This record gives sequence, structure tokens and C-alpha cells, in this order.
Amino acid sequence: MAKSCGANGLGAPGSRESLPGAAGEAGAGDELSSLGSDCEINGGGGGERRVDKFGFIVGSQSAEGPLEEVPLEVLRQRESKWLDMLNNWDKWMAKKHKKIRLRCQKGIPPSLRGRAWQYLSGGKVKLEQNAGRFDELDLSPGDPKWLDVIERDLHRQFPFHEMFVSRGGHGQQDLFRVLKAYTLHRPEEGYCQAQAPVAAVLLMHMPAEQAFWCLVQICEKYLPGYYSEKLEAIQLDGEILFSLLHRFAPVAYKHLSKQKIDPILYMTEWFMCAFSRTLPWSSVLRVWDMFFCEGVKILFRVGLVLLKHTLGSSEKLKSCQGQYETMERLRALNPKIMQEAFLVQEIMELPVTERHIEREHLIQLKKWKESRGELQCRSPTRLHGAKAISDSEPHSRKALDPSPSIILPPGQVLPPKGRKNKEKKRDQGKVRLANGPIPEENGAQALVEPGACPHHQSKDSLSSRESEDTYL
Amino acid sequence: MEAIWLYQFRLIVIGDSTVGKSCLIRRFTEGRFAQVSDPTVGVDFFSRLVEIEPGKRIKLQIWDTAGQERFRSITRAYYRNSVGGLLLFDITNRRSFQNVHEWLEETKVHVQPYQIVFVLVGHKCDLDTQRQVTRHEAEKLAAAYGMKYIETSARDAINVEKAFTDLTRDIYELVKRGDISIQEGWEGVKSGFVPNVVHSSEEVVKSDRRCLC
Repeated sequence: MAKSCGANGLGAPGSRESLPGAAGEAGAGDELSSLGSDCEINGGGGGERRVDKFGFIVGSQSAEGPLEEVPLEVLRQRESKWLDMLNNWDKWMAKKHKKIRLRCQKGIPPSLRGRAWQYLSGGKVKLEQNAGRFDELDLSPGDPKWLDVIERDLHRQFPFHEMFVSRGGHGQQDLFRVLKAYTLHRPEEGYCQAQAPVAAVLLMHMPAEQAFWCLVQICEKYLPGYYSEKLEAIQLDGEILFSLLHRFAPVAYKHLSKQKIDPILYMTEWFMCAFSRTLPWSSVLRVWDMFFCEGVKILFRVGLVLLKHTLGSSEKLKSCQGQYETMERLRALNPKIMQEAFLVQEIMELPVTERHIEREHLIQLKKWKESRGELQCRSPTRLHGAKAISDSEPHSRKALDPSPSIILPPGQVLPPKGRKNKEKKRDQGKVRLANGPIPEENGAQALVEPGACPHHQSKDSLSSRESEDTYL
Repeated sequence: MEAIWLYQFRLIVIGDSTVGKSCLIRRFTEGRFAQVSDPTVGVDFFSRLVEIEPGKRIKLQIWDTAGQERFRSITRAYYRNSVGGLLLFDITNRRSFQNVHEWLEETKVHVQPYQIVFVLVGHKCDLDTQRQVTRHEAEKLAAAYGMKYIETSARDAINVEKAFTDLTRDIYELVKRGDISIQEGWEGVKSGFVPNVVHSSEEVVKSDRRCLC
């Protein structure tokens, strides 16, 4: 749902309703598609291809309107602030988390975005804790059942981005590697088609291994259960969104209720693809900056802002008298309300908190159980953003220490000695048996062949450091 | 402002992932063919008017669905309110043909107590050299389930109009004969309703140009 004219998907402007004459069988051919020619799609153009600053082929999507350019001086200042933060990340996360949040709201400098997303999501820590694991998964053949579906989707993700434009090109190859690795990492979850655009956005900002771990964090920490069998989590969030709408945009709520338009109809693509197929690109990036820092509440806020500004007044509803008109309006959202500065401001001003979402989650979960019984897929608890994720794994870097001081005989009491100690106790039970740096990846360890690790570990930590520099 | 229509039929388009559901619908509603199409996430929604007899227009509300099995928990809620359906398979993909039976079973369970008039569509017939399903066996399967069979191509605009209008005509006949009736609380068929209180009985000619603002 909700492909708008200005979006990154493939929707093109034009009425969807017409009489037969208007949409003739043959005549109205491909030339109507202003989205690029065959040779561009197949990467065989050879000639010069102009791309915008985000890597999208110029002319492949409707103009975004004037982009807000951050003055160069400001940008340089922000870059140096971000560099300082990234170099002292744990300290900043522990003590000045609010400052990080503020800086994410202002927008992460493009040169550091990929790195920042890895730090915020905890993908970086995960990679360090599981050095070599991606390579293991990458070398495994994978389940043909998933490979087939993934392969069919590869050329359909942002086909007008320079990275994904050529069939079998490096972007599509990496996308395959990341998605395949995930099906091996979580065989019980496999592959969900909505994961592909998310992985593709990550790959536009970082190498495959880093993108894989960020994807893992999104699927397990930010949006647990979204891509799992039965899709219960997204349906629950639809109900939560609708309930929040009641509170924050009652006119829109009433209208949608009256027309019996289920939230699932308009929010599935929004949320499952984290708006990457809905918003103009500059807005996607700003939303993702905040999403990585503050978690799912950002998605709820974006959804509420879009609904409020589309259906939030009787004036706006005049042209939405039927179900179809409303749906069409939600599909072809007004570019003004998706424009970067406006949208970000609105998102920040909307007072929807984690607490609202959690409270509503409990209410909707209860309703769900009453009407449909127990959830069939149990997902891990949702963590609301970078701070929550970081707190859930305190001192995760410590796990990389060479001295395995965690191994203690059962029952031994350690003298209390600050945070370091707390962490040891917490992980004691989990880690003792594993004797490794992977407190949360026990299930996954089975796949790692013994003996392969040390080599990979060293090679990997090196390559990850290298790539950071590349993306600086 | 909308054009006047006699009935509104709600159709659903189902079938495996990548058989070309969205492309077929786009060709029909927008008259264009996209070389690449985003995989549908969840449910999408299109509309077009069809003139089945001079002056008699049917408004088709066409529901596009995600093909991946995972999305069925979402899409199956939309079977119930559909009067007709296009069940697609890709003639170059044998598995998508083998799954036709499963799709029919799946809908049967979730459409009770109503029924959907299905047409079986062998899609991508422009790729005849890569064909993995013969016309004969597809026709046989369709007949076994009491469906019509048609082969289409969104790329070359072959039979796209026919697939939709034939199905629309068949449903229209069933409605005329009273085999399908308009029911309260069911969205499959609705009789002419025009917003802003312009009734279909009135001889008003309206442009169907829609505001896109």
C-alpha cells in the first residue's frame, strides 16, 4: 500500500480509474512508463548515468522538491561532533544519551550515517561478538526453499538506485548474501519479502557483513516478530496505531472507523519497510536516523503524522467520501506532508512515548487473546531504541576481553564493584557453558564449525575496521 | 467526482509470488507495463470502470495481494468480501501452477458462507518458449474446478482486458439472474452509489476525471 508519486517505489503518477478507452490494450505502451528504459534496468546502458546525491538515477522518480542543504560549515561541525561520539561511544551512551538523541533528530551527517546506524543499533557490537559468523553463513549453501524466493526479489528492490540497477551486480549480490545469511541465522523465521527493502537501505550505507548485523538487530530488537510466520506482530501494531490515532487524531480515526478501513490496509508496508518505500529519500534517511536511536515509536509517529495530515480535518475529508477515495488518498500522499523539514518537525512534536505504545500493546494483546487465542509466534521483547539495546547488553565489549574471567565456579560470590561486576553476575549463568563471547547466540553457535573461528576472528575484526574507514 | 456506475464488484487477485499479479492489474487499470515491480507487501487496492453494455458501467474494485505465503494471514481477510477472483499462475513456472489447488482450498475455507467466481489465468504467455505448463493441462484443471481459463500477458497486453471484462460479465449475469445478490454486511457486490447524491438512474453524464491533488 501507499506508494506515492514521490516515493522510491515504482508507482507513477496517474489516475488508477479510467474507462476502457483511456487505457487501451496495446497502444499505451511502455513509453508511458517514465521510469527508465530496459537498458538502464539491466545495467547494459553503458553510457553515462546521472544519479542524485543519494544514488538514485536522475529522472527515475518524481522530483523531491527543494532539498534542504545543511550549510557546509554546519556539516563539518556535526561531523566532528559525531566522530567524537563514535570514538567514545560507550561513554556517550551511558552518560549523554539525550545528546545523541538530539543529534540523531538533527540528522546524522551522510558521511557517518552508516557507521552511526551500526553503533546505534548495536549491530557493531553483535558483529564483534560474533566475529566470523557472517562468513560462516555466507559460505553455507542455504535452504533452496528460501533461495528461490530471495532470488526472485533481488532485482525488485530500489531498481533505480545505482547500486541495485544491474541484474547480478554487486548490490544485488550483497542483498542476496545478507538475506540468505538471515535465513540461516534464524531458520525458523526464514525470509519475509518485506525484509528485502530494509536490507537494501542498509546496504546503501555499509558493507554486507555490517548490514547483516544491523538487519538482525532490526528484526530482533526493534521490530521483533514483524517478519515472522503469521505476521502477528505487525497486525498487533496496526491495532496499536489505530488506538493511538483515536487519541492523537480523532477526526481521522472516526473517518477510518466509519469506512471500515483496517489499519493493516495502509500501515503494513509503511511499518514493515520502515517507510523506505513511502517517503521521499531525504525523509527516509532522517526517519531512519531517529528510528535507530529511539525505536519503533518513530514509526508510530510517522504513521500518525501522515494520517493526521491526510484525514485529520473535515476539510480534508470532503474528497474522501468513499472507501476507495480514502485509500487512494493514503496511497498518493501529499508530498508536502512528507517533506523532510515538515515531517521531522511534526514527528518531534507528537507526544507519543514508549509508554503509550507499551500500554496500548498490553491492551491490544489482551483483546487479541480474547478474540483469537494465544499468539502463535513468541517474539522477544521489543526494545525501544539504542539506549534500551545498549542497556540490555551492558559491557558487551568486555565479552571480547581475552581473559575469560567470567568462568567461575558456581556459587562464588564476587565483591560488589560497580557496573562491571553487575554484568558478570548477570551473564554468569548464560556464558559459563558457552565459554565464548556469544551470550545471546547460543542457538546460532551450533552452526559454527569448530576450528574455523580464530582465523575468521582476526581477519574479520580487521576487515570491519577497514570498512569503517572506507565509510568515513 | 466519480463516474456513474450500475454495480460495484470487488475482485481479488491471488497466486504465488512473482506470477505477475500487480503487473496484470497495473496494465488493466493504468494501461502501462512496468519492467520491474515492487513485491507487494500486504494488500493493495485499485479501481477501474468497465462498460459491459452501452451505458452500463461496472466499477471494479481490485484487490492485489502479496503472494508470499507468510502474508496470507493478512490477505485472507479480504477473500470474504470479494465476489470474483483472478487466480494467477506463471506459465513459465510449474510450481506456481501446482499451487493452484492449494490457493483454491485456501480461499474456500475463508470465504464461507459466500463464494468467489474464479477465473484461472495463465500469465506471462508472451514467454511461450519458456513455457512449463501446457494450455491443455491448464484448461483441464480449470474445467475440473468449474473455472474458465485464459492466458494473458501484461507485457504485450494480451487478453488483459478480456480476462477482467469476461469475469465481470459472468458475475453480472449471475447478479441479473439473482444467483448472486447484494447483501447487507457483504462488500462483494454493491449497487450503484454515487457520492454527492447523484443517483445512477438520473441521466447525468459525468466526467470520470478524478482529482489527483
